[in-house]
Parts: sequence; structure tokens; C-alpha cells
Amino acid sequence: MRRSLLTMLAVLALVLAAGGAVVAASGGEGSTVTRARLERSLPVVFAHTYVREAHLLGRHDITPASLHAQAMCDKHGPDVADVGPGGDWTCLMSWTDPQVPMPPEGYGKFEMNVHSNDCYTAGGPSKLVGFQTITDQHGDDVDNPAFEFDGCFDPSSSNAPTGVLFPSLFTVTSTTAGQDAAGRVRLQFTCGTGSAGCAGSVIATAGDVPLGTEPFDVKEEATGTLTFPTPVPSGATEVTFTVTMSTGVGPPKPVTLPRTLPVG
Amino acid sequence: MTAVRWELRKLRAQWRARAVLLAALLGPIPIAFILHGQSRPPKDSLFGRFATENGFALSLLILGFAAQWALPLLTAIVAGDIFASEDQHGTWKTVLTRSTSRSGLFWAKVLVACSFAVLVVAVLAASTTTAALLVVGHQPLIGLSGQTIDPHSALRLVAASWATTLPPVLGFTCLAVLLSVWSRNPAVGIAAPVVLGLVMQLVGALGGLDPARQGLLTTPFDAWHGLLASPHFTGPLTQGLVVCAVWGVVTLAAAYVLLRRRDITGG
Repeated sequence: MRRSLLTMLAVLALVLAAGGAVVAASGGEGSTVTRARLERSLPVVFAHTYVREAHLLGRHDITPASLHAQAMCDKHGPDVADVGPGGDWTCLMSWTDPQVPMPPEGYGKFEMNVHSNDCYTAGGPSKLVGFQTITDQHGDDVDNPAFEFDGCFDPSSSNAPTGVLFPSLFTVTSTTAGQDAAGRVRLQFTCGTGSAGCAGSVIATAGDVPLGTEPFDVKEEATGTLTFPTPVPSGATEVTFTVTMSTGVGPPKPVTLPRTLPVG
Repeated sequence: MTAVRWELRKLRAQWRARAVLLAALLGPIPIAFILHGQSRPPKDSLFGRFATENGFALSLLILGFAAQWALPLLTAIVAGDIFASEDQHGTWKTVLTRSTSRSGLFWAKVLVACSFAVLVVAVLAASTTTAALLVVGHQPLIGLSGQTIDPHSALRLVAASWATTLPPVLGFTCLAVLLSVWSRNPAVGIAAPVVLGLVMQLVGALGGLDPARQGLLTTPFDAWHGLLASPHFTGPLTQGLVVCAVWGVVTLAAAYVLLRRRDITGG
């Protein structure tokens, strides 16, 4: 009897291992966790949560409906199917609060941890929803409900695409105008989560001296480096980069970075 | 019916059954006090972030935790033992020479095990919710769509949420009965359902195993989430009911056949 029990457990373990391997190979197909369901669920939960935060702060000028929140969600990057649980979901969300305008790109970024049981934890962008602890209208320190919140969605809710799209955000990550050995200036950038990646061009000038124009075209959630052909004149102290976007959203004003001397 | 009475009497005499009921009754009280005293709420679990300041959330947090292994264990302690104990004590011949048919005895034992499971869930739910409301309080609850639920509706929803654990608990009861009949060993009957439950949880937590996940006996333990959303959804609940019914019928049928075919004359 004991032997047959061990046999049964061994068979069970083998079946589970084989099933697990098949699943690992097929990757997330058939899960109830999908982009469309998250895009429908998150704005509802967020709107209630954000209004609750506003009430804590003594504001009564917004309602969940007046926020008109809408979201675009993405799992892991451009080359991964937007389906299945994981901690690598991000959602971009826009809403209307007369006292807190959206940044130029038009949305805030939420970090999502989505579980296989159709529940998730969302972390809000602190520049739009505030930090973890806020001071309420009575002067007490309280937890900010919108900083991090839980939600669950109906696994049989509509899975039709919501059609909500937001552009990627192009950000200059260099803090100084670094140069290579030949004196050519280099610019590092990132392209954030968004529907179509980033494309456009950057014009670099040192004072009145043009250093060249470099095009870029990258997918979402990527980093890159642009090298401008003309070496920086020896007297220049800073370099100005003007970004023109054809796809995605870039810095609205030219970015000026101090020059650093070439290494070596 | 005589068989049911005898089984109930045997159950009442067991210290194990009484200990389970006592644990279900008293266990939630220290848990409520300890969780209420935490300075940082246990945010990893659903409703954990409100549990230190909201009694309804605390009750639901404990519900989520109990469903992981405590509920299968509480029911298996009786259901996993109820057949195997006759083997352990060598009493099959004695009970069957009373004017009871084998199938009559089988259904009496199943009925008693299931009734005990319902009783344990009811006691645990009532004790947990009462302790949580008395220790932490009955503030309005924040639901799973971010909506605010008034205390009156919250109490109703918390009670309903605990009630939704009955189908999977009864499913685990039937599984424990099968293991009890088949292994003839109380230790296997009690421990194996809990271990299988944990394995099912692990499988359910894997991403993308969804068709298999829907058929697991542990998935219906999550069905109450739908009651706390707005608008609420009951799809997982009805699906869970079907899944638990299938598990129950299959395991009981297997247990019945095993017991009918067994040669007990040897003792």
C-alpha cells in the first residue's frame, strides 16, 4: 500500500513537471489575464481610489466619473505578448483633475503586479498621485490610497481591444555632454512604454556651431546612444540638443548639457 | 440512520474532532489581536493593506490565508480519518456485523464528514468575523474595484464570502474520504489532501496554465473576489460549483467502489 502511494505521488509529480514544461514552452497562452481586461479594470479601480485620496485631502470637486480615466497596458516590452500574469506589466493612464494637470506626454505610468487569480497590485506615479504618506485635511499623516492599491477583474469580462493608445516618451538620460576620443559628442536616451516607439531626429549645437543632426527610430522600452559627427569646438562649455519627434513624445524644449572633457 | 447516529457518537468522543472545533473557535482571536497590533499592514495579501484598521478586511485576509491550507486541513482531520480509523483499530468486522450494510455505513460516514466540514467552516467564519469586528472595528470597507462598501453590506458580503468556501471544502472532504478508504491509513488521509491542496495552489499560481487552473480544487477558493468587486461577478463562483461537484462525485464514486470491492473478512 505504501509503495503504491509513493508510486501515485511520483506519477503525479511527473505529470505536473511535464505540464509545467509544456506551459513554460507555450508561455502564457490561454490566460484570463489580458491587456484589454486590465485596461478596462484599472481606470475604474483607480478612479475610486483617487477620489478617496482627494476626499482625504479635503477636496470634493472631482468624482470617479469626472476623471475620465483611461489606460493602455503593456506586458514586458514590444516583443512579448500582452497576456498572462506577471510583475512586468506597465499601464499608462490619463485622467482629468483640474488641480493636477497631466505631464506633456499626457499620462502617468503605473507599475503592475498581476496574479493568475485575476487580481493585481498597482503602484501609481508619485509625481501625479503623491507619495506613500500624505497629510490629510486634519493635519494627520495617513497612507496615500492611490500610491499603491489592489484590484480584481472579472475573468469573463470583455476581451475586445479598448483602442486606448498612448505615445512613448523619449527622454534624454545623459546628464553631461560626454565625448568620445575623437571629440564627438554623445547623447544617451531612453524610449519608454508606448504604442509605437520613438522616431525623429536630434540637432546638436555648441554655441553657434552646428554639430550635426542624427535620426533615431527605436522600439518602445529601449535605450540608445547618438553620436554627432562634428567634434565639439575646444572653447565650447555646453551643448544644446533640440529633439524633433515624428513618433512619440519628446522634451518640449531644447536640452542643454554642460560639456565634459574627453576621457584619455 | 442508526449508522449516522453511531458515527456522530464516535466523532463526539474523538479528542481530535473537538480540538479542531476548539481551534476554529479560539484560533482567530489571538490572530486578530496580533494583526491589529502590527504597525505595518501585511500588504502582500488581498485586503491586507486595510486589515489593521478594518475588521471586515481582517476577516477577508484571514479567509484568504485559511483557504491556502487551513481549511483543507481542518476538514481532512476528520474526513481523512473516518474510514481509516476502522482499519487502525481493526474494527471493520465489528461494525459490519451490526445490522448495517456496507453502503449504508459508507454514506453515513460521508454524511458525518461533510456535516462536520460545514460546521467547522461556520464556526471559523463566525469566530473570525466576530473577533475581527470586536478587535478592529466595523468601518466602511474598500472593495476590489476601489469602491466604498457600507458596514451593513460589508457584513453581508463577508458572510457570503466565507460561505463560498463551502463547495471547495466539501470537495476536499470527499478527496480526504477517498484517500482514507484507499490508504487505510489515517496519516495519509489527513496529510495527503493538504499536500495535494498546496500542489494545486502552486500549479494555479503558474502563469498560463489556465485550462488546468480552472479544474483545480483550490481555484474556487478565490471565487469570493467577485462578490467584493463592483459590479460584482459570479462567473468563477458557478464555475467553481461545477468543478467541486465533479471532484466530489468522482472521488466519492471511487471511494465507494473501493470499499464495496474490499475483502474485509480477513480483518
